[in-house]
Amino acid sequence: MSSNNVLSVRDLAVAYESKAGSLRAIDGIDLDIGQNEFLAVVGESGCGKSTLGLTIIGLLPEKSRIVSGSITYKNVDLVKLPPKKALQYRGTEIGMIFQEPLTSLNPVYKVGLQIAEAISIRNLRRSQLNNPVIGSDSESEAKKVTKIPRFRQKIPNELKSEIIDWLNLVRIPDPEQILDRYAFELSGGMRQRVVIAMALSQEPSLLVADEPTTALDVTTQAQVLKLMKELMDKVKTSIVLVTHDFAVASQVADRVVVMYAGKIVEDAEIHNIFSSPLHPYTKGLFSCIPSGSKRESSLKAIPGSIPNLMYPPRGCRFAPRCQYVMDVCQVNAPPFIQKQQNQKVACFLYE
Amino acid sequence: MSSSDQQEDEQPQELEILRTVHLRKFYPVRGQTFDPFSRKKKKFVSAVDDVSITIPKGKTVAIVGESGCGKTSLAQTIMGLTPITSGEIYLDGLCITDRKIKPRQLYRNIQMVFQDPDSSLDPRMTVGDSIAEPLQELTSVNKQEIKELVFKSLEAVGLSKEFAFRVPRELSGGQKQRVAIARAIAPSPKIILLDEPTSALDVSVQAQILSLLLELQRNYKLTYVLITHNIAVAQYLSDTVAVMYAGNLVEYGPTETILGKPRHPYTIALIASAPVPDPWKRNLLKADIRGEVPSAVDPPTGCRFNPRCPFAELKCTKEKPQLALIGQEHLVACHFVEKTA
Repeated sequence: MSSNNVLSVRDLAVAYESKAGSLRAIDGIDLDIGQNEFLAVVGESGCGKSTLGLTIIGLLPEKSRIVSGSITYKNVDLVKLPPKKALQYRGTEIGMIFQEPLTSLNPVYKVGLQIAEAISIRNLRRSQLNNPVIGSDSESEAKKVTKIPRFRQKIPNELKSEIIDWLNLVRIPDPEQILDRYAFELSGGMRQRVVIAMALSQEPSLLVADEPTTALDVTTQAQVLKLMKELMDKVKTSIVLVTHDFAVASQVADRVVVMYAGKIVEDAEIHNIFSSPLHPYTKGLFSCIPSGSKRESSLKAIPGSIPNLMYPPRGCRFAPRCQYVMDVCQVNAPPFIQKQQNQKVACFLYE
Repeated sequence: MSSSDQQEDEQPQELEILRTVHLRKFYPVRGQTFDPFSRKKKKFVSAVDDVSITIPKGKTVAIVGESGCGKTSLAQTIMGLTPITSGEIYLDGLCITDRKIKPRQLYRNIQMVFQDPDSSLDPRMTVGDSIAEPLQELTSVNKQEIKELVFKSLEAVGLSKEFAFRVPRELSGGQKQRVAIARAIAPSPKIILLDEPTSALDVSVQAQILSLLLELQRNYKLTYVLITHNIAVAQYLSDTVAVMYAGNLVEYGPTETILGKPRHPYTIALIASAPVPDPWKRNLLKADIRGEVPSAVDPPTGCRFNPRCPFAELKCTKEKPQLALIGQEHLVACHFVEKTA
């Protein structure tokens, strides 16, 4: 792992188990996330982009398991770490923003209390990292320090100014008033700002944002994306944006990873992928994006549909839908080829 | 298009198929206690407020706007799915808001495709039955003919005959939406309302459905009213765009004009906020739009966009702007439209 990377994912595979069998939602993912990089993970539903995000943050649902691979953060493999220890990183140093802010905020506590809780947990974790008590002999002492503070009634005064600072940073008007509001009293854009403020208050080195603007209107989406892009430099964080929308990715991301059926098919710098998409699936996706009017252009849809991941196709998973398919594609999985300096593609066409 | 002041002198155009006149739809705000002596005014959500819009025959009119702007309410009032508060709707010269009009007469001519095919298709009915039901109800054709019509409309949306015997859960999202479209075109209506027909679908499936809709329009000379928040979809499908904001129609005109040279400050902001798939043109990071859509319970007085508008003056907070013609079929409701020239 080079020192420039915040997080390195190697050969990661995650399976969902059911009575019908085991389904590999992601299979053999290699991914490096650079320092202060805005990476977009783009793909259609069922391609495994959300599973990738959830695996990084450690929030995989029950009945799923990490089959293989590693997620290296600060020379620690998060996959091998026991869950309690992983908490030192996840949520604090690696933050997450979800699609629907109403479900990620607690409906019965004022948003100010929730941010206060986040900040005090951060302070607690920091003090733990500086003088580790976990594993020390005195059990009671460990218990005392690891107890997570809860605020139910009143925001502690010592945290108030910091909370207001964070709310100001995400451009919430009248932060003093917003502190005392419940999530349902805020508009969609405001809620997502509160969630972003909570995530950023941890000063994470990596923020995973899973479709953070899909539930929002376009004018609000523009505001939130602009905000994320600006705050990225201020807080010195890297962002992994999981999205289905190439247009959103093109507006904010530095680099794009295109996923198809649980695999990364192309990994490229944003301008490269738009000027010369290499993988047939990426090309197909671009021709599906409506631009211009019906008189000027016609959309070319990709024939067929996504394979059932319970029984993925042998060889390249895109082969059944690919117009450039060759014999080798149906037998072997394509290697990941470095085509240009900032562009890698998993396709036999470029061998 | 008829704005309120020029409505009388317009001769009835034979090209128009649907027209709403001063259409209003207010929803009462729930949770208000009944108190006849209260001095408080009863509160209403003005979802659609004084919308007069004309839909030309054989064309596609896209109604765009953000959530809460009233575009879906407008579609529901046109479909008769919710009673209107005031105003009239004319379909082919016939006033369909007249109580004497039976739903059967209406739905023979006007059909709708909803956003989510999972909830608009009966999970326990086969696809064939779903398509046949409106035919049984609305037309007087016999069983054999219905069967043929079902197969014909399935074929028209690119599905094979066997699909008639499947149930929705066996289909993919795109296939389900195709079935919903087949059901809408089966009674050969004059006009189809498309309420966000592709927003629940992936881009590759969206492309298939958009191409299908265009093909059907060409083959069957259909008129579409497309409700969408997606500017790219509106641009691709429509001939005319109507922009709604907080229950009001703020701009109306040919698609190229509206998207190429919008004049209402809201339309300008809306188009500037729509992400363009082009990393060399990062419009989003330059977009400067403040605030959010106002509550429709107590909308701002005067022009409803005035709290967010960069050009707002005192007049905007007092007087509601009316739609006025500023170019070829281009109507804008703004007091200071010259500022955006």
